[in-house]
This record gives sequence, C-alpha cells and structure tokens, in this order.
Amino acid sequence: MADMSVIWLRVAAALYSLGLLHAILTLVRRRENLFRVALGAFWLGAVFHFVSIVEEGLSIHHCPITNFYETLSMCAFLVVVLYLFIFWRYRLESFSVFIFPLVFVMALVATMGNPVNSWTSPVVRDAWLTVHIVLVLLGFAALLFTAVASVLYLFQERELKSKKPRKLHWLPPLGTLDDLIWKSMALGFVLMTLAVIVASTWAFIEHKEAWIRQPAIAISFFTWGTYLALVFLRVTAGWRGRKAAIMTVTVLGFSALTWAAHAHLGGMLKP
Amino acid sequence: MKLLLTGVSHKTAPVEVRELLAFREESLRRALGALKACEGVSEAVILSTCNRVEIVLTTEDNVDPQAIVDGFLAEQKAVSAQTIEPHIYRRQGRDAIHHLFRVAASLDSMVVGEPQILGQLKTAYNAAKSSGALCGWLDGLYTRAFSVAKRVRSETGIGQMAVSVSYAAVELARKIFGSLENRTIMLVGAGKMSELAARHLRRSGASHVFVTNRTPERAAEMAALFQGTPVDYTRFLAMLPEVDIVVASSGAPHYILRKDDMQRVIAARRNRPMFLIDIAVPRNIEPSVNEIDNIFLYDIDDLEQVVNANLRERMKEAERAEALVVEEVDRTMARLKVAEVTPTIVGLQEQLEQIRASELDKVRRRYGPFSPQQEEALEALTRGIINKIAHGPITALRAHSAAPDGAHVVAAIRKAFHLQD
Repeated sequence: MADMSVIWLRVAAALYSLGLLHAILTLVRRRENLFRVALGAFWLGAVFHFVSIVEEGLSIHHCPITNFYETLSMCAFLVVVLYLFIFWRYRLESFSVFIFPLVFVMALVATMGNPVNSWTSPVVRDAWLTVHIVLVLLGFAALLFTAVASVLYLFQERELKSKKPRKLHWLPPLGTLDDLIWKSMALGFVLMTLAVIVASTWAFIEHKEAWIRQPAIAISFFTWGTYLALVFLRVTAGWRGRKAAIMTVTVLGFSALTWAAHAHLGGMLKP
Repeated sequence: MKLLLTGVSHKTAPVEVRELLAFREESLRRALGALKACEGVSEAVILSTCNRVEIVLTTEDNVDPQAIVDGFLAEQKAVSAQTIEPHIYRRQGRDAIHHLFRVAASLDSMVVGEPQILGQLKTAYNAAKSSGALCGWLDGLYTRAFSVAKRVRSETGIGQMAVSVSYAAVELARKIFGSLENRTIMLVGAGKMSELAARHLRRSGASHVFVTNRTPERAAEMAALFQGTPVDYTRFLAMLPEVDIVVASSGAPHYILRKDDMQRVIAARRNRPMFLIDIAVPRNIEPSVNEIDNIFLYDIDDLEQVVNANLRERMKEAERAEALVVEEVDRTMARLKVAEVTPTIVGLQEQLEQIRASELDKVRRRYGPFSPQQEEALEALTRGIINKIAHGPITALRAHSAAPDGAHVVAAIRKAFHLQD
C-alpha cells in the first residue's frame, strides 16, 4: 500500500476507535451516551478512509482490491457507507454496538500491510507479548464465568418453568445470574478486544506483512467475531436463557480452540 | 422446687373453651399478681394467644401447684372445673420443659414453623418480668427456650419455605428477579387475593403498583392502598412491557392475556423476564404463555403445589427440630440436676472446714504458739486431709446427680455428714 494511503487509513482507524469506546461504554454502563460523538467520528473517519482508498487507487492505477489489506480496507469502507445509509434511513442506533468495533478492527488490520521497523529492543517485544497473554487469560476467565453462569441460568429457568422449584433450591436467583452474566461478559469482551488489538500489532511487527496469513490469527479474529455477535445479540435483542447459553458455550469453545492454536506463543517469549 | 405447665391449645380445646380461659392484655398484670401472691408460688408466666392459653409456675416443694392453678382459675375465670377438665393438659418437670421448648420452636403451632408464637412468648415473658412474677430460675428457663427456638430456626429449614399462596408468590418472584427492588407490579382485577399478594410483594421491595379493573373506581380505590397508579382497562396491555410482575384475578370469563399478546410484550421488553401470577378462576391467562422464553406463568394450582411441597419439606424439617428440642431438654435437665446438688456440695465443704478450724484451735491452745513454719505445715496437713475426705462424696454427688437414683445418693451423703436440711 502507498505510504500516504496508509497514513490516511490510520487516521480513519483512530477516529473509528471512538466507536469501539462507545460500544464498550454501552456494554459496561448500559447507557448510550457517547453515541453522538462516536457517530461524528465515524463520519469523519469515513472521509479519511475514502481519501485513503482514492490515494491507493491513484498510486496503483487500478481499483485498490489487489491484495488482502486493500480488500479489507475496501470492505470496511463499504460497511461504513452502508451503516451510515441505514442510520440515515432507519435511525438504528443499536447496530452501532456491532458495527463500530467491527469496522475499527477491520481498518486497524488493513493498516498493517506495510512492513515496519523491527523491535527496538527484545524487552519491549516481550513486554508487549506478556501484556497480550495476561489480557487474554483474564478475558478467558471472565468468559468462563459467563458460560458457567449461563448454564446455571438454564437450570434455574427449567426449574422455574417446571413449576416444581424444590430440587435445585440452592441455585441463585435468575436475576442474580443474569447480572453476573452481563458483567462478566462485558468485562471479558473489553479484555479480549484489547488483547486482539495488542496481539495484531505484535504479530504485525514480528512477522511483517505475512502475519495475516497465519491460521492462528485467522481463528483469533473469528473467535473475536463470535464474541462480538454474542455481545450484540445480548445488548439489542436481550438474548437470555437457552439461546444465550448455547452461544456463550460456543464462544468459549472457539476461545479454547484459539488457545490451542496459540500453544506455541509462550515459547516465543525470549528466555 | 416444682415446675408445672397447665393449659389448653388449639389441639386440645375448641375456641369456645379457649376464649373462656383467655387473658386480655390489660388484665394480664393483675392476674399475674394474683397468681404470684398465692401461697408457695415462686414464679409465674401466663401465655394467652388465640391458639393457646398456658400458665407456667414454679412453687416450693411442700405445696401442690395443680391445686394452686385450679384455685386460681376458679377465682379468675367463671368456669367450672368440669367444663375445662377434658381439654386441659398438665405437664410437670421434664415434660413441662419439653412442652415449653416445643412451643417456642413453633413445633406445636397450627402451622408448624410459623414464627409468630415466639414473639407472643416473648411478650408473655416481658409481661411476667415487668410485673415481678419472674425473677429467678424460671426466667433462665425462658431465656433458654428462646435460644432453643433460635437454634431450631437456624439449624433446620423449618421456617424457610413459604406455606401460603401469597408468600409462595413472593418467594418465586425472588427466585426470578433476585431482589425485588425497583420491580413494578400490575394488578389485573382488584380482588382480595391480589391485594394480599401485592401487599407481600410491596413489602419485599417492589417499587410501584399499577392497578387495572373493569370498574375504574375500584382500580383507583385499590391503587390508593399502595400509593399506586390506576390504569385504564382498555390500555393495560400497552403498559405491560414496563411491568415485571402481573397478578391476574379478574372475573373475566375468558382469557384476557393470550400467547401472541405476551409474545409481543416480551419482545418489547427485550426478553427481560416476567412473572405472571394467575389466581383467577376461570383463568385469566392462556396456559401456553408459559412456553414463551423468559415468561414464568403460575396459576393458582401451581402455587398450591409449591405450598404443598413446602409443607411436606417443613414436616421433614420438623422431625429434625424435634430431635434437637429433646437434646436441649436433656441438656437443661442435666444442668438442673447439677444445680440441685450444688447446695449439698457447698454444705459439705463448709462442714469439713468448720471441723478443721475448731480442731486447729484446740491444738493451738494446747501446744502453741507455733512458729510461722509450723503454722504453715499444720495448715497444709489439715487442708490436705479434708480435701481428700471430701473428694469421694463430691465426685459421687456430681456423677449421680443426673441418674434416676440421684436423690437417694444425695440423701445418704447428707445423712452421713450430718448436713442440716
């Protein structure tokens, strides 16, 4: 990608990051108070994004869809345009919880096509990687709590539906479980998102532009995507009970797979 | 000391007899005073509730407590002994303690495990205490009864499960929502049952009550009871997404909430759980509503079923509670026996000490004065001897105090050591 194009795209990604912040705040506080600001930033980001794509097109004299990074950038831009259109037409604020983080991560990954200077020191490299591992493990713990609480929720729900609420009387009330699910899910999502951002940058610097071709990375993004979908369905449709429990356990399963795919990661810490 | 517990309860006497014997609150003090004033009475407590009237008293050994109570009742209440005799029970000593503990632990109540009786017992205790009829051993026994009741409550599940329909509804609501703080209730139909349920829910923290009824005046009237809001009957369905708990008790001859209505409501609520209580007959809510995710529908039979299951559970817990009470009675009896032999032990020690002191005096007069070392040696020698002598009888007294032949042992030792009665 042309250097100028990447710089514009970085500016756009920085603006989109406000959208991620909005999504996280919505999740943690259950209030949408940053939406106006995030939407403004989204508009502005779209302009820079457009400039980036035009710049790239001019420099290669071709529609900029020749490699993965260009396609990803283009795809993110189309999603942005589509969302802005949908918002203008239907005022669907709640979609933003899903779209904003997705666009941010797509734009962020798209900026990572050009090789950059390698690590200035092994200490920075290792510290970076350690931060990632710690974030992921904390996120995984939170997700595990979400899954356990979801399954307990399922039992309690069945008990109450059966109208003989005596057998499993030690189970916590549904409301308490729901609160726990919500909080641990929000915390887990924040941690996992940060971990994905930290990990992408690390892998990019470590493996240059070839980083995106690693299967482990692809699995990570897929897992993060399922987590995002879970959060989105919870926030907008209020998914609870059976559907939410199945979804949470699925996300947990993918997380475990991702973990397995990264089994070599700890070994990459320089002794 | 003699302990007697006499009375009638819902188990032994119909209300016509119980009301004859009941003591009104304002006359209780005077009655206690009169009872305490009887010859030989040490302490007395009168418990008078709608389900039982019981008189507990301790007397000197040389009087007949039964006769005292009979006389007292004949004087206070205009009833012939023949009328009440078939209904009255009398318990003495250990049986009286057992009965008192069972009553306090709510094992003798109409609804086993309901806690009101403990409060009533405490009121009776306070009345006796403030009128000076309770000042010693019996006071301790009541304190003991209260802690037995507390132990039964905390160590068994006897009071944990709701045994009335409206309490069962509250308990289920807690199972669904956790805390009821900030939950809103909608009463559809303004009957007595729904009023009761709403009262319990409100007391457990629910924040607001909406009332709807075909007759708007009745809705307004009921809403006023809970500082709630009356809602127009034609509009209540539109309000349901805001409501967490619905209590339906209207007299409508058909379903007023159907499955497709509720599907729309739960979607509008973004699947936040809802608790529907249908206590109307014929039912107000289509039963298949319970199939919708996050809606929990209980009709009157479901609630009854919960109550019955809880009652059975309570009975099981009551068995454990009975065992616990027996254990506490045994403990109290053992303590009582030890307390009974204490005067004998003290008397014995005093007697021996007196002998030692007088014998030492004699020796001093004849051979004294002694040097401090000699005094010390004599002191140690004599004290050693009496302690050795006393050791055997004291051990025997303590060991036999709780045994059936305890009284004989005590009597024999008193006689052997010339202890005065």
